[in-house]
Amino acid sequence: MRVPFGWLQEFINPGISVEKTAHLLTMSGLEVEALETDGEDVVLVINVTPNRADCLSILGIARELSVLTGAPLKLPAPPAGEAGPAGITVEIRNTELCRRYAGRVIRNARTGPGPEWMAKRLEACGLRPINNIVDVTNYVLLELGHPLHAFDLNTLKGGRIVVDTADKVYRKIKTLDGVERKLPAGALVIADAEGPVALAGIMGGASTEVEESTRDIFLEAAWFEPRNIRKTARALGLSTESSYRFERGADIGIIPLALERASLLIEDLAGGPGTVIRDGGVDVYPVKYAPPTIEVRTSRVNRILGAEIEEDEMLRILSRLGFAVNSSDGLIRTSPPSFRLDVEGEADVIEEVARIYGYDRIPAALPSSTLSADGAGSREDFIRLVGGAIRKSGYSEAVNYSFMNPRALENLSLSPNDLRRNAVVLLNPLKTEESLLRTTIVPSLIENLKHNRERGLKNIRLAETARVFIREREGELPREPLKLAGIAVQQKTHSFWRDAAEDFYLAKGAVEALLDELRIKDRHFTPSGEPFLHPGKSADLVAGGRKCGYVGVLSPAAAEKFEIREKEEITVFELDLDVLFDLLPPPTVYRPVPKFPYIERDIAIVVADGIKADDVIRYIKNYPSEFIEEAAVFDLYKGEKVPAGKKSMAFNIRYRAGDRTLTEDEIEVIHSGLVKDLLVHTGGSLRA
Amino acid sequence: MGGVNIRKSFLQELGPVRTISGLELLRVRYLGKKGILTAELKKLGGLPPEERRSAGALLNESKVFIETELAARRQELKELELREKFASQAIDVTLPGRYTRPGRTHPVIRVMREITGIFVAMGFSVEEGPEVELDYYNFEALNIPKEHPAREMQDTFYVSPDIVLRTHTSPVQVRVMQRKKPPVKFIAPGKVYRCDADISHTPMFHQIEGFMVADDITFSHLKAVLESFLHRIFSPDVPVRFRPSYFPFTEPSAEVDIGCIFCKGTGCRTCKGTGWIEILGSGMVHPHVLEMVGYDSRIYSGFAFGIGMERVAMLKYSIDDIRLFFENDLRFLGQF
Ligand SMILES: [Zn+2]
Repeated sequence: MRVPFGWLQEFINPGISVEKTAHLLTMSGLEVEALETDGEDVVLVINVTPNRADCLSILGIARELSVLTGAPLKLPAPPAGEAGPAGITVEIRNTELCRRYAGRVIRNARTGPGPEWMAKRLEACGLRPINNIVDVTNYVLLELGHPLHAFDLNTLKGGRIVVDTADKVYRKIKTLDGVERKLPAGALVIADAEGPVALAGIMGGASTEVEESTRDIFLEAAWFEPRNIRKTARALGLSTESSYRFERGADIGIIPLALERASLLIEDLAGGPGTVIRDGGVDVYPVKYAPPTIEVRTSRVNRILGAEIEEDEMLRILSRLGFAVNSSDGLIRTSPPSFRLDVEGEADVIEEVARIYGYDRIPAALPSSTLSADGAGSREDFIRLVGGAIRKSGYSEAVNYSFMNPRALENLSLSPNDLRRNAVVLLNPLKTEESLLRTTIVPSLIENLKHNRERGLKNIRLAETARVFIREREGELPREPLKLAGIAVQQKTHSFWRDAAEDFYLAKGAVEALLDELRIKDRHFTPSGEPFLHPGKSADLVAGGRKCGYVGVLSPAAAEKFEIREKEEITVFELDLDVLFDLLPPPTVYRPVPKFPYIERDIAIVVADGIKADDVIRYIKNYPSEFIEEAAVFDLYKGEKVPAGKKSMAFNIRYRAGDRTLTEDEIEVIHSGLVKDLLVHTGGSLRA
Repeated sequence: MGGVNIRKSFLQELGPVRTISGLELLRVRYLGKKGILTAELKKLGGLPPEERRSAGALLNESKVFIETELAARRQELKELELREKFASQAIDVTLPGRYTRPGRTHPVIRVMREITGIFVAMGFSVEEGPEVELDYYNFEALNIPKEHPAREMQDTFYVSPDIVLRTHTSPVQVRVMQRKKPPVKFIAPGKVYRCDADISHTPMFHQIEGFMVADDITFSHLKAVLESFLHRIFSPDVPVRFRPSYFPFTEPSAEVDIGCIFCKGTGCRTCKGTGWIEILGSGMVHPHVLEMVGYDSRIYSGFAFGIGMERVAMLKYSIDDIRLFFENDLRFLGQF
């Protein structure tokens, strides 16, 4: 709402500067967002919240300012007596949706451009001047907050107005903007003897529009039910100054004043008294405004606010706001004025009292109640632990939108029955590329990688923790599993300390470091079948017997589909954090550290390429000897010193007894047995 | 040879010795069984008793002198040898250490964790709710029926007519109250969505919802909790003000401003000249919201608030473009 200060001063002399005025309004709930200079005047740009329809006018703001400053409100004079009959009959067929319909007939007006001063004010408030008649209706709308509509009287057929909802008879209307519109079901229309002439409270019809040739006018002021107006406006995709006010709740009581003000202005501006004839009027008011009576205990006000406001002060505040009040024994009975449709119950009244009393006068005190403090909760701690672990491995935390491009599913070559194809589809996406909700985080990270690459960054590690969304049954909420995904690429040649490891192992190392941090020991990796990963450089994580993620090198085909130009291998991983959370072990139960020394043996075997280190280690660990404590791979060799198609792997095995020091002889027996059996199991031979 | 001459010739010979082995040869040459000084000592027996005493004393002094000199030179040479060894082993200590450069925390996540920590310390628990939410929880149960003008305050992404991307974290209030009996006291951090994208709006951002309901909670408590939070997240002397506002699910409602941290209240571009910056929305839980979940609003009351994380992060780190948060440019992320 834009309020020229000069216009406001026609209704009140606040006796304070425009800055002080802005501050007072802001601190009572009418936030002045800016003060704009407009010629010699200053415009207050006020953010009027949806509940305060009464403040969508100069009068409304003046009224509020009067409450805040005590300065008296200067209202235009009310109508001097009843107008004669209008010669028009009004029939309201739905008195719930239209509770009052009034009008005035004005004859012999000269339609033409409006005066400069009025045009300036309209423009200062963001409205375009049209002609003197329409300008007056807009001017009164801004000034008093009540929308008016002017019909060309001579185009209204049959001398009657019918207010009714759209039905078989009333099906369409051509509105002022020249658009032929089909009336939505339930839309309230104004009709003459032949059909709809206006969309009630939203926009007039083209056939009865006031034009240069218009001489006689029927000026309408009515009250329409907010929800109905909003529903119709939304269905038609229309929002006008008029609908904006009606859907928030107009003041049914100001109708006579608004008509009077507009009639006098038209008389003045369209020919002057003597020429223009203010003729008869009509006012059909079947459902009289009946304000609710709200009971408020003064103790309750102070109990909710944590304040000590005297009853007298509460009564004073409410009276100044125009509320009817009476009280006895600490109980206030109050009724809001017709312009405060937003005040319905006790809580609303408490807010009114607090607002005018001043929030800054209510003391601040920390609550004494010591409620059950669950702390952050283990899941919150878990997510922090995950973030910390992944950062230690060099991954920075990324945050992406939860949206996904439908093409990403194709780029990943997911099979038709892959769950990740069950994406949630948005009905109103901002763009097609953001029309799905993510079922995997990886495509977002690929875009991040490209963004960074394009800006010259060579070594990139990014990880994101976020929910993905898997559609299940129609009409139900999707599943929202929490995932951690990572992406990495590094430039080998320029790194200062050479690291010869395959990129795959760096990514896998990050995953293993995370699992170590979480103390999840029951885990292994098996070759992965993810269609977008390099089949020879990818693995699924199996923990607690379930697949709960993958790590691998992005396949060249996928990289190409995502339009990645670089040659370097790109590693990705994605883990199911909900599953890992469930696998978190209970707190450690301390076991004594070993008392007796271990004996180590190293063994190097030459085996076929296809034999996996993990298989060998598992074989050793499962070997039937209680003394085998640990086995680990420490070397891998492929090259000229071993036959083609084979590789050499070296393992370190640690033997220990819990109750004594083992002897070399004892171990020799077990170890040679193990070696013999291992060679048979793997089909390998000892490396010379 | 007299003691004095022995010392003189020893010093001459000691002069050029630069190795431990050379030093050993010199020791044998003077102090060994057939050494020069040993020979002189043996000659003492042939001297008359009065000469023997003084000559003996002189020779003994020379012996001590030689031993001391040898020990000193030995020490010197050892140190020299060590220095040479160290010099030959020296590396360039200015080369970078070998480590995995740790990744950085996203500024929004950082702020979210910090704020969560502050409220957890104040006894709030942490709750979650779905990001794809029923219209009922996002609007209806929060006193925003269909055809309510307040729906216009939030542009909504729809999945179906009844399912939306939550536009705020407030639906968690309702879900928690349905599950728990009062008193409840929690925060709910998470992502929210608005169908809006321009220079100052992104279609997704982060909020923390705060909620506390018991049989004695007042607006005064709301003020104190939020003031103490804002003092901890910004600075203990930042001015805080509460002004009336409107949210359908709170009544009375309050917008909370802090004194502009850039101009200290004198007025600048960030605060649009007002000296104040809007930081969060809050209010007393609307009785309708309590009644919808079966809480007796005559007994229970409480407050709710919602804080935008991006906004806090922008103020805290002087970031002027909200879109930077979602580009994940490492030159940006690396600064936090
Ligand atoms: Zn400022």
